[in-house]
Amino acid sequence: MSWAVFVGRRLALAAASLAVLSGVVFAATAVLPGDAVSAVAGVNASAEDRARVRASLGLDRPVVERYAAWASHALRGDLGTGFVGNRPVAQVLADRLPNSVILAGLTLVVAAPAAVLLGLWSGLRAGGAADRLVTTSAQVAAGVPEFVSAALLITVLSVRLGLLPRVSLVPLGGGPFDAPRTLVLPVLTLTGVVTATATRLIRASVADVVASPYVEAARLNGVRGPRLALRHVLPNAAGPAVQALMLAAGALVGGAVVVETVFDYPGIGRELEQAVAARDIPMVQGIAMASAAMMLLILLLGDVCGRSLDPMRGERR
Amino acid sequence: MTANLEARVRPGGPRARPGRRPPLLAAAGTLVVVAIALAGPLIAPYGPAERLGLPFQGPGGRHPLGTDFLGRDVLSRVLWGGRTLVLTAIGATVVATVVGMAAGVLAGLASRRTGEVVSRLVDMLTVLPALLLILVLAAGFPGSDLAVVAAVALATAPFSVRVLGAATRRIATTGYAEAALARGDGRWAVLLHDVLPNIAGPALADAALRLVAALHLTATAGFLGLGRGAPTANWGRMVSENLSGASLSAAPFLAPTLLLVLLSVCVGLLADRFAGIASGGRR
Amino acid sequence: MSRPLNRRLFMRQGALAAVTIAAGGGLISACGSGEPVAAPSAGASSGTRRAGGTLRAAFVGGGASETLDFFNGPTPLDLVRARAWHGGLGDLDPGAADGVRYGVLQGIDVSQDLGTYTLHLRPGVRFTDGSTLTSADVLYSLTTLASASKLPVFRMAAANFDLAKAKADGDLKVVLPAIRPIADGRMILCQGNFLVVKEGTKQFSIGMPSCGPFKLTAFTAGQGAAFTRNDDYYGPAPRLDGLELRSIADSDARAGALTSGEVDFVHDLAPVTAHTLSGNSAIDVVPSKSPYLVGLSFRMNMNVKPFDDQRVREAFKLAADREAMVRTVFYGNATVGNDLPALGFPDYAEGLSQRAHDPDRARALLKEAGAEGMEVVLTTGPETPGMVEVATLYVEDLKKIGVKATLKELPPGQLFADFASYARLPLAASYQVPVPALSTYQITTAGGTPAAFGWKRPDVDALVSEARAQSDPAEAKKTGGEAQKKLWEGGNTVVPVFKPYVNAQVKGLTGIQDDLFEQFPGFSRAALP
Repeated sequence: MSWAVFVGRRLALAAASLAVLSGVVFAATAVLPGDAVSAVAGVNASAEDRARVRASLGLDRPVVERYAAWASHALRGDLGTGFVGNRPVAQVLADRLPNSVILAGLTLVVAAPAAVLLGLWSGLRAGGAADRLVTTSAQVAAGVPEFVSAALLITVLSVRLGLLPRVSLVPLGGGPFDAPRTLVLPVLTLTGVVTATATRLIRASVADVVASPYVEAARLNGVRGPRLALRHVLPNAAGPAVQALMLAAGALVGGAVVVETVFDYPGIGRELEQAVAARDIPMVQGIAMASAAMMLLILLLGDVCGRSLDPMRGERR
Repeated sequence: MTANLEARVRPGGPRARPGRRPPLLAAAGTLVVVAIALAGPLIAPYGPAERLGLPFQGPGGRHPLGTDFLGRDVLSRVLWGGRTLVLTAIGATVVATVVGMAAGVLAGLASRRTGEVVSRLVDMLTVLPALLLILVLAAGFPGSDLAVVAAVALATAPFSVRVLGAATRRIATTGYAEAALARGDGRWAVLLHDVLPNIAGPALADAALRLVAALHLTATAGFLGLGRGAPTANWGRMVSENLSGASLSAAPFLAPTLLLVLLSVCVGLLADRFAGIASGGRR
Repeated sequence: MSRPLNRRLFMRQGALAAVTIAAGGGLISACGSGEPVAAPSAGASSGTRRAGGTLRAAFVGGGASETLDFFNGPTPLDLVRARAWHGGLGDLDPGAADGVRYGVLQGIDVSQDLGTYTLHLRPGVRFTDGSTLTSADVLYSLTTLASASKLPVFRMAAANFDLAKAKADGDLKVVLPAIRPIADGRMILCQGNFLVVKEGTKQFSIGMPSCGPFKLTAFTAGQGAAFTRNDDYYGPAPRLDGLELRSIADSDARAGALTSGEVDFVHDLAPVTAHTLSGNSAIDVVPSKSPYLVGLSFRMNMNVKPFDDQRVREAFKLAADREAMVRTVFYGNATVGNDLPALGFPDYAEGLSQRAHDPDRARALLKEAGAEGMEVVLTTGPETPGMVEVATLYVEDLKKIGVKATLKELPPGQLFADFASYARLPLAASYQVPVPALSTYQITTAGGTPAAFGWKRPDVDALVSEARAQSDPAEAKKTGGEAQKKLWEGGNTVVPVFKPYVNAQVKGLTGIQDDLFEQFPGFSRAALP
């Protein structure tokens, strides 16, 4: 299969996935009880106010018709306007998505070297005491929910020692990089979980490779130590490792709701939470599609990397 | 949340790690926490909602762990608060595993094309952030623990389908299943006698992994205030309820936190072990 | 921490020189408008208070859906931002002669028959583009923008005045005919909500003409807005050089930003958060004062048995241990309610005796009504700090009078999301923002609207209309009091607690209360330490 066909097929599949998912998410937000009227009209609104708001939001039209309207606009690049506050969804995405990508990217930058080193180190010693230590620690780290690690980090580094700001207040009109200190706590919180998960995955694939006849043969030929690790094990384990890391980071775009909430980080996950609570269908739809697209893109990149890194260059499974 | 990722990268599941002692400590830890969670309400000195004093009193006297943000007994609330969490996580895991088993086996046994289609459809769901599913369902059915069970199951099941589909396909293409078919055994007989016994191990290992993810998601849902609301005691919820007052009294925040972490770590270690046994048996 | 702190100091010091000049200019322009304007008392008396600097304040905010179009922005921060930016008709001021402090107005005349309101504009109010505020601008803001708003708070004008017949009379007069005679029209128009923009405004954006105390210089939805002082402001010249309003959703995070010096003022803290701050010597915890209190309430649905029985409703009111709620949930920092909304407003019936906590009598009443051991579900949600906590305690109180009560807590934002089903709940939690008693009753409760939960009392509705149409204040108070007494006796609402908006600020920050309308704090008279 040539690269063009491979990538083309994956892209088509991704587009189809997005189409199906947009329908699923729209149906779920539209069919479930409750709507955005109260978020817009306020607590003490009268019945007439509510009816008026409902009509002005177009919520009195059938679901299918609303979806069709949304889809035809979306295809032309218009993601609509949020019910609450009337902001264009695309603008909100443009504001917030980069921040989430920065958070995920920085987490990856910190987590990747650690995970590769730890994974390689313990995978090469599969079954030994060092391996047990690493895998057990990774399991412990992966078992601590983000909200717990965030609370502990805040208590120690911000409240007790006063080293880092408690809240990720990004300067107005700037990005997170204009106040780098505010990024530290959120990134640290996410790094724990991501490093742990990625270490486990990398360790497993390294252990697989180590047990393969190919490495066995190299070993019998007297290849040892770093040479064995770098020349023989790593190239074979790299595909799954890269994929593992990218997936872990991809899951953070739109999935880091807890960390963004706790630190008040201006990312897309927090917007998602608020949009769902307000039943702001266009906004939920837009954010869901953006994070799904992000994930699909990462999967595609992962597949491409996996394919190009795979020494056998064939079917992955 | 990331516990699910393993299924993405390695549908085959982790391989055996030979030469490890049985994880007695992890098993004991799991048992203790689950016992506290399930039997706690029976031994709790007070009800979970009884207001007994001023908020955030320190440990001591009638309240070994002090009182929480509404002046309720923390020990009692901790004892009451694990049941929902553990049952929700287990419920979601059972649903996910059953769905994963059914869909996975069907996809695995079906023609290669059908299998492809099923796994593509299932993959689509895994692209959405798990919390999106939970937030949306919980917003539709506010205050419902069942909605959380359904959402967590929905978020984890696709990964089960993937893993068990791969396991089934592996078995179906091994010599003996093909031989049995060639021998003239019916599809159902092959399914019953050759496939099911052989994927029971992977299914169990997968269920353990799913349980880790489900615990994580359930606790997070509690922390975000989803599922049954006040005055229900729920470890995840209690963490967020008492976090603000942690400087006044740490016990109401620490007690549920430690139990949560202990449970999720122990189950994680056990899941690793199961995975090892399952894949060991496969070889 | 050191870097931002230094920068802050620098900015405040550098601002000093500019302030003295600006303060003088502001005074002159204020005098030029023909009104003797007293400088804020604190500013005049305390020579130690240094003006200038940029105040940074944090609010709950509304995420990326925040908007500059305050006519359509539902979150409190949208209005706070607008109040810093635009001139307003006026604010409620219990101490003032008309009960209101006027903004861009000089006064409001009411015709003898209470049927016509004449708004007199303050002459010489200038927009930032140099043009002068005229009656056309006020008329446009009121009749075109406010009446088209989806927010009920802006519907108050349309519910009381015939806006279609409103007209300008010259450049400085607007004539508003009332739909039916009302005496409290000033309180309707000068609640702090009605802000004025230039005639023909369609887009709300940074450069638009405005006439408030500050000029908007930057805005990022969900993060914040930055302002500089408007030297042309019609009121007393603002003492601050600049203002930054930030959104921080979580109460603990807001408090953390205050203690770590990232902001100077935080709005609406949770009771526990405020309590943990009370030991901090660098911080003042400042609860809003009456009437700017939020009433927490429980509505009994009279369409659902046994709440159609007056005795059951009274039992439910007697069951509430209000003192315990104040002590436990608010650490003593709240006021016991008397089952009527609008505590502290001029038209509130303060003469009624306080409802007691009497579980024995409550039990007896339930028995009399044959409702012993009744089952009921109280539905609530975390819509404002303390709401779920108070409901949790109330359910325990109900259990003590033999009611099999359970609590159902919905996730944030869900309680009122499906209003039709909310209005069918047998027992539902709610909260009342600070608004006057009678005009609000007429809009939300009179005539048996769904929001009235089955309360249909034409006699009370008539008394309220009569009170509002009464030109003699004493008579109005008496009639209004009668209406509220009936509501107190037979009503279907338990209002056990009024809680303040608990704000916190760095020590020495002053002048925020002087801006009135404390639930949406204004900073035109604030000064940094």
